[in-house]
Amino acid sequence: MSVLVFLEFNNNELKETSKQALTYANDINENVYAISELKISNDVVESLGKFGVSIFLINTVDFNENNILKCIIPTIEEFKINCIIFPKTNSFSYLSSILSTKLNFPLINNVNSVARFENKICLKSTIFSGKAEADIEIDSNSCILVLNKNIINSTSYKKSVIIKNLINKNDNSLSNNVVSLKKEKLEGDILLNDADIVVSAGRGLKGPENWKMIEKLAKILNAGTACSKPVSDAGWRPHHEHVGQTGLKISPNIYIAVGISGAIQHLAGVNSSKIIVVINNDPEAPFFKHADYGIIGDAFDVIPKFIDALK
Amino acid sequence: MNILICISCVPDTTSTISFVNDDKKFNSDGVQYIIGPYEDYALARAVELKEKDNSINISVLNVGLERNDPLLRKALAIGADDAYRIDVFPNDSLFVAHQISSFINENPFDIILMGKESIDFNSSQVHHITGSLLGIPSLSPVTQLDLNSNKNKILIKKEIDNGIETLEVVLPAVLGCQEPIAEWKIPNMRGIMNARTKPLKVIDQFECFSKINYKKYSLPEKKDNLLIIDENNINELVVALKLKNL
Ligand SMILES: Cc1cc2nc3c(=O)[nH]c(=O)nc-3n(C[C@H](O)[C@H](O)[C@H](O)COP(=O)(O)OP(=O)(O)OC[C@H]3O[C@@H](n4cnc5c(N)ncnc54)[C@H](O)[C@@H]3O)c2cc1C
Repeated sequence: MSVLVFLEFNNNELKETSKQALTYANDINENVYAISELKISNDVVESLGKFGVSIFLINTVDFNENNILKCIIPTIEEFKINCIIFPKTNSFSYLSSILSTKLNFPLINNVNSVARFENKICLKSTIFSGKAEADIEIDSNSCILVLNKNIINSTSYKKSVIIKNLINKNDNSLSNNVVSLKKEKLEGDILLNDADIVVSAGRGLKGPENWKMIEKLAKILNAGTACSKPVSDAGWRPHHEHVGQTGLKISPNIYIAVGISGAIQHLAGVNSSKIIVVINNDPEAPFFKHADYGIIGDAFDVIPKFIDALK
Repeated sequence: MNILICISCVPDTTSTISFVNDDKKFNSDGVQYIIGPYEDYALARAVELKEKDNSINISVLNVGLERNDPLLRKALAIGADDAYRIDVFPNDSLFVAHQISSFINENPFDIILMGKESIDFNSSQVHHITGSLLGIPSLSPVTQLDLNSNKNKILIKKEIDNGIETLEVVLPAVLGCQEPIAEWKIPNMRGIMNARTKPLKVIDQFECFSKINYKKYSLPEKKDNLLIIDENNINELVVALKLKNL
C-alpha cells in the first residue's frame, strides 16, 4: 500500500483533522505522501515531518477538474499510490468523488475505524447520521477513504520531508463550464467543522437578541457557535450555523447545548461529539439522556454564571 | 427544459434504527419511509421554477425497490410530471451513480437535482460521481438556484468551507441541494388526484458490478454517565471540563 493524504491548512497551520489523517496513513504504511491545494512556504513543508509526512508533493495548481486530470491523476499513477486519504470537508467531497471515478478506486465516506488490509479492505463507517455503524468489505486492493473526525489521536514523528514535484501532462484543456463570480466569507473566525468547542442554542433562547450571551460564552471558550433548525428557519441565526440531520454534522470535543430539546434530528448532527453539556430548564428534556453533564436551569441565569466561573 | 430530481427513499428521521438477521439486515418493520429531506428541497425548487415557466418538465427518479412507488407518487402529487424507478437495491454510492448516469445517457436532462446527501448512508457523493461519469459539472451543497432567461445557464450559490460562493454554470449540470434553496411543499388534494394518472415507469437495472459489501451493522453504545451539576456550583463543570484536558 502506498498512501497519499490530502492536507488542509488554516493560516499556514496544519488542521487537526489533517494531522489525524496523517497518523491514520502512517499506520497503513510509513512511507506517506502528502499534498495540499494551498501553496505553503518551505519551512511549513519541512515542519510536516513531525506530523508524519515522508514525501511532500509540491503543488502549483488548483484542484479543478482540468488539473485533476492533468496533474493529480498522473502523479498518483506515477508513484503507484493505491490508498488515498481525506479528512472530511466540503471541498474534498468533490475531489474524492472525481478521483474515485477516474482512478476506479472504491470510495468510502464517514470512515470510523482503522482499516485492515488483507486480500480485501475491511473497515467501519457511520450510517444513518451517526445512529449506526456498518462493517464494510471492499473487494479491491485500492481505495479512497474519507475519515470522520477524532477516530484516531494524532501522534508526532521524526521524519525529514522529501520534496517531489507534481507531474504535469499537457493535455488539451476541457472547456470551462463553471465560472466563479464571487466568494463571500462568513462572519465568525472559527469554522464550525474545525472548532474544538461549540456553543449551540435553540428555541429556548426566545429571540435573536439573546444570542449576545451565547457569543460571549463562545468567545471566552474560543468556541464556534451553532443553533437548532427552528432558530435558523426563523432567521434568528444564519443557515450555515444550523446543525443536525438536515444541517451540519459536527464532532467537537465539547458540545454545549443551551435551550435545545434534543430532538432526534438535532442529535443526528452532534451525537459524535466527545463531551456533551446540556443546559435546559426542563428536567425531562430528551437531550439529557445523551449528555455527559447537565444543568437544569434557566439559560438566562445559568449562562452568566458560567461566564463568571470561566473568568 | 427538462429537470430530473433523483430521490432517495429513506427511513423517517424519527425512526428507531435496528437490525435483524444477526445484524446483517436493516430492520424495516414498522419503519415509515420518506423522500430524503434534501431531495424534498430540490423537488420544491424545481416546482417553483415550473410555476414561473410551465414549459419546464420535471421528472423524478429513484433507484430502489417497489416499496418506494408511493413516494414517487407523492413526488408526482407535489408537482413532478413523470416518474421513473430503476428496479434494484441501491447498494452503494458508486453503484447508484452508475445507474443514474446510465439512465441520463439514454434520457438527457438539462438540470439534474439531488439532495446534498441521503440520510441513510450519508455518502454525499452520488451527485459528484454522477457528474464525473457523465462528464458534466457537479456542485454541492447548493443553497440557491436560478435560471437565466435563455435557460442555458444557471446562477447558483454554494457553501464552501467558511463561505458562500456564487457561480454561473453552463448546463447540463448536477446539483446537490440543501436548504434554504426552497421551502418543503406538501401535496394538495388536486395534486394527489392528478398524480394517479401521471406516468410511473419501472426500468430494469443497468449492469454494474459493486465492489463494496456491507457485511454487518451495529449500534453505538448508549451514554449513561450523565452528571447533573447545580447551577450555583457551576465551577464543578469548569473543573470537570479542564480535567478532561479539553
Ligand atoms: C425532516 C426533519 C429534519 C430536521 N432536521 C433538523 C436539524 O437538522 N436540526 C435541528 O436542530 N432540528 C431539525 N429538525 C427539527 C427537530 O425535530 C426539532 O423541532 C428541533 O430540533 C427543535 O429545536 P429546539 O430544540 O431549538 O426547540 P424546542 O424543541 O422548542 O426546544 C426548546 C428547548 O428549550 C428549553 N427552554 C425553554 N426556555 C428555556 C430557558 N429559559 N432556559 C433553558 N432552556 C429553555 C425547553 O425546555 C426546550 O427543551 C428536523 C425536523 C424534521 C421533521
